Amino acid sequence: MGGSQSLPKITPQDRAILDLKLQRDKLRQYQKKIQHVLDREQAIAKAQLAAGQKDRALIALRRRKYQQGLMSKTDSQLENLEQLVTTIEFSLVEVSVLHGLKQGNDVLKEIHKEMNIESVEKLLEETAEAREYQKEIGDMLANTLTLDDEDAVQEELSALQKDILGEDKEPHLFDLPTVPSEEPRDPITEGMFLVFTFILHTLKCFARPSTPT
Amino acid sequence: MSLSTHTTPSGYLLPSIHSAPPFFTEQPNPTTQSTATEQWIRLILGYARHRKLFVLRVEDAEAAGSEWDEILRNERINRRILPDHLSNIIATMVSKNLASYEPAKQTRSALIYWRLPEEWAEVLYDWVVSIGQLNTILTFYDITDPPLESALTNIPIPLLRKAIAILGKTGRSQMIAIADGEGVRFLARSR
Repeated sequence: MGGSQSLPKITPQDRAILDLKLQRDKLRQYQKKIQHVLDREQAIAKAQLAAGQKDRALIALRRRKYQQGLMSKTDSQLENLEQLVTTIEFSLVEVSVLHGLKQGNDVLKEIHKEMNIESVEKLLEETAEAREYQKEIGDMLANTLTLDDEDAVQEELSALQKDILGEDKEPHLFDLPTVPSEEPRDPITEGMFLVFTFILHTLKCFARPSTPT
Repeated sequence: MSLSTHTTPSGYLLPSIHSAPPFFTEQPNPTTQSTATEQWIRLILGYARHRKLFVLRVEDAEAAGSEWDEILRNERINRRILPDHLSNIIATMVSKNLASYEPAKQTRSALIYWRLPEEWAEVLYDWVVSIGQLNTILTFYDITDPPLESALTNIPIPLLRKAIAILGKTGRSQMIAIADGEGVRFLARSR
């Protein structure tokens, strides 16, 4: 602590509020006094009545009535004063709220200055480019896989698939005959197909020795 | 003579020593006298706390009818403390910082510190925080005579000033004076 605690400055508003509050206190004290007078007048009226002096008692009661009027007047004045004080204090709160909003707005502006739309667009473009570039690199790397590797991967995949299918099959209780995977052909066309393939094969065999040269 | 505690009409439990006649007269033996003074101080502070009394006057011992009658007099054994004796006790309390002459430069009346000004400062601050009056301007009347009775109702202005001054040292209060009177503003605890 530096010893110099910064106290808020006493503004003219503060003085005005204090003045109003002091006036209010005076009114309250005045009311106290009137209340005392009211009690006293009633006591006097009672005493006079007991002493048989009706007219004196009446005077005391009249005085009391007058003081009662004063009391209600001060009541309304007090209300006015208190309303005024409350209004001022509320306005001060509003001022500080406004101040806060203004500061927030300034900060927001400052931030926006650093973050204009152009730069954001540029940034986004750059990001897209970078992503594109990254993708290219990824593709290139992926293509470096040899065909052997690719085959091995495919094999693994099919093995996995088989595993999964095999697991699926187990729960079956009855071994039903499997559905033929090929289309049924009539014997004639099948025979012709066989012959055709045979011829093709022999032709290939003949052709082969000449190709390496 | 059996010594026993006694509950006063205001509900304060008097210690048994209060029904011992020698308690009301000054003792020639210094040791005895200082012990008796200790007892008196404890009694005065306790009773002041019980009744929320702030001021003790030598005059209170001179005539019946004061707020302090219940401890300064004991009608059951027909004893009362003498003004000189009370004056000495008050002097001891002032020297022990358990009271202070108010107004200063006289020895007839004193503020009784059943809470030290530092403690009053905390009570005051806590009260202000609890009614949400930080940062607003309060008059002394607001504090001594709030619409709802508080721990600070009827606190003497000199004591209140002391408490405010103590809070001022840590930047928690600020006095505002205008031609018409004074006010005080309490501020949030600064760290």
